Amino acid sequence: MSQAPLVAELSQRHGEPGWLREMREAAWQQYEAMPSPKLEKTDLTKRTWGFGPFPATVPAEATGDAGAILQSAAEAGMPVAYVRDGVVVRVDATEAVRNLGVVFADLHTAARDYEGVVRKHLGTVVSAAESKWAALNTALWHGGVLVHVPKGVAVKVPFLFVYLETGEGNGAFPRTLVVAEENSSLTLVQVHLVDGGAQPGQVHAGVVEVAAAAAAQVKVAAVSNLAKGPTRFVVNRADVGTDAAVEWVFADVGDGFTVGLVESRLTGTGSRSVLRAMGLGSGRQHLDLTASAVHAGRHTESEIDMRGVLRGRASSCYRGSTHILNGAVAAGSEQRERIMLLDAHARADAIPMLLIDENDVQRCSHAASVGKVDPAQIYYLMSRGIPEAEAVRMIVWGELAPVVEAVPAEGVRRWLAGRIDKELVP
Amino acid sequence: MSSPYLKIENLHVAVDGKEIVRGLNLEVRGGEIHAIMGPNGTGKSTLAAALMGHPHYEVTGGTVTLDGQNLLEMSVDERARAGLFLAMQYPAEVPGVSNANFIRTALNARRGEGNEVPVMKFHRTLHEKMRELSIDPSFAERYLNEGFSGGEKKRNEILQMVMLEPRIAILDEIDSGLDIDALKIVSQAVNSLRSPNIGFLVITHYQRLLEHIVPDYVHVMMQGRIVRSGDNELARQLEARGYDWLKQELGIVDETVGANA
Repeated sequence: MSQAPLVAELSQRHGEPGWLREMREAAWQQYEAMPSPKLEKTDLTKRTWGFGPFPATVPAEATGDAGAILQSAAEAGMPVAYVRDGVVVRVDATEAVRNLGVVFADLHTAARDYEGVVRKHLGTVVSAAESKWAALNTALWHGGVLVHVPKGVAVKVPFLFVYLETGEGNGAFPRTLVVAEENSSLTLVQVHLVDGGAQPGQVHAGVVEVAAAAAAQVKVAAVSNLAKGPTRFVVNRADVGTDAAVEWVFADVGDGFTVGLVESRLTGTGSRSVLRAMGLGSGRQHLDLTASAVHAGRHTESEIDMRGVLRGRASSCYRGSTHILNGAVAAGSEQRERIMLLDAHARADAIPMLLIDENDVQRCSHAASVGKVDPAQIYYLMSRGIPEAEAVRMIVWGELAPVVEAVPAEGVRRWLAGRIDKELVP
Repeated sequence: MSSPYLKIENLHVAVDGKEIVRGLNLEVRGGEIHAIMGPNGTGKSTLAAALMGHPHYEVTGGTVTLDGQNLLEMSVDERARAGLFLAMQYPAEVPGVSNANFIRTALNARRGEGNEVPVMKFHRTLHEKMRELSIDPSFAERYLNEGFSGGEKKRNEILQMVMLEPRIAILDEIDSGLDIDALKIVSQAVNSLRSPNIGFLVITHYQRLLEHIVPDYVHVMMQGRIVRSGDNELARQLEARGYDWLKQELGIVDETVGANA
């Protein structure tokens, strides 16, 4: 119980209502009670769970990559939220978006000002009970956003949430709550930037939960450069209602030690999910990434497309999981995982998982591969005068480009492309 | 610029330790079209791949120079930048790389840093050449060869050739998989390039192609070497009479590589 004061301190600092404080405390108990998890492809036994104390103030000016991304978003008229090391620096919802009745606020403020929405949905899609790190995030989240789009409202311009981690935060616990009411539509781009100083021994546990009501259309892109140092956990999940559609993009360029889950629970009849993920790993990256579609409703559709590129001594695992529950009749799904190894010491697993508990399945396909860049492709490009290193760069870019292009904010796309280019310089 | 000059002397090429090309001599100069004919399995495509520098093909003897430079010491990309082009029988598919981006990168690699082709000019030229080859404009932004039909791939090879303007162009069975209309279009493109600035080596099974691309020289390959050379009349003879009379004349029983008689 030595860290329990962190919960009390956070609650007090943000003037949280009693229910929220109780939720944090309950989650803290769960975190403490749960044993360190044993994962098939990730050894957590040597990782420590260090965090706190959490800073109360941070420099207000966004510089560097964060500054450039925020600037570009502002110019594009996007609502932006900027959090540095868990401290909310600013949220600009923009008047145009506010006029639609949309809420875009930091989650601390929202828990007071839009208590009904937050209380109804927080923790319903990602629950503290499901994993030690989900419990930890539920207990200690700070620096997060709420996006709430009312019934029938279509927000054309994407929301941008930038979380900057500098190492001063002593652990990163962002939480994002997206509530898309019936027949609404929205796009959220969330960027987790690590700018030096990532601390070994610390924990990063991030959660994105999306509640997409009937016929809602939600797109969420999570882009990051998860760097080495902390043990990183990511849980991004959507609950997808009747005839609703959720589209995920996950893109990471880094050398971090990460266990990630991106999941759509297709609960409503006719709900759909598209999930595109890419990782470019270097150094001693360990990315244990699961992309998952759980088919619960009838006539549900899912697509999973994972692309990994590994350099150096990166050792990663890309797992596609399609689960068709009993009663989820006429489900359609396809998944593919493809990994390219650029260096001799890079290692990877591509694991397709199909769990089918229903006899009436419309279609269910999968494909997985791990391999070097195809020498026939390299030869072909070289035969037109393109030097080998450039040929490899083009082929890898070709592999990753469809995911990069799916990121719906130009400034973020540019940043991501820059990170990829930097990694691929021979 | 001087006229292109490819010189092959006593070339030997092995694949997986087995010698496929066995002492081949050939000279191709700018302005000339050479056709290499011959039945399957006589080493024609091996010759093409070895000249381009495909890593599976090991040159075990002989010399090849392009404009006096030792081609065999160059990497694949250096050969291309020196002006060699191979229109491949089975070009690779590269997902995610657009045709236009690929061709522009190749062109700029050839032109060298500081001499890149202006983007607008490139696209204008590309679309002009695509029109001449009856290639749908959408192919510029499509991924390189991905989902192209056999004929579309062949036309795309020729598109690259006309864009890159090589000094020596090798066409490896460019006619296979082409219907007669496509064959005419491809032949027209080759003929339009014909000039003292380019020499062609056209590899084919069939004389049909050589009705449209009329060669100056015709060579027949058997058992990994050129066994007979002549002009276009030789190709007509082969079309009319097949290869057996030639085999008889030469005392060859089995024309494929590895056979001794």
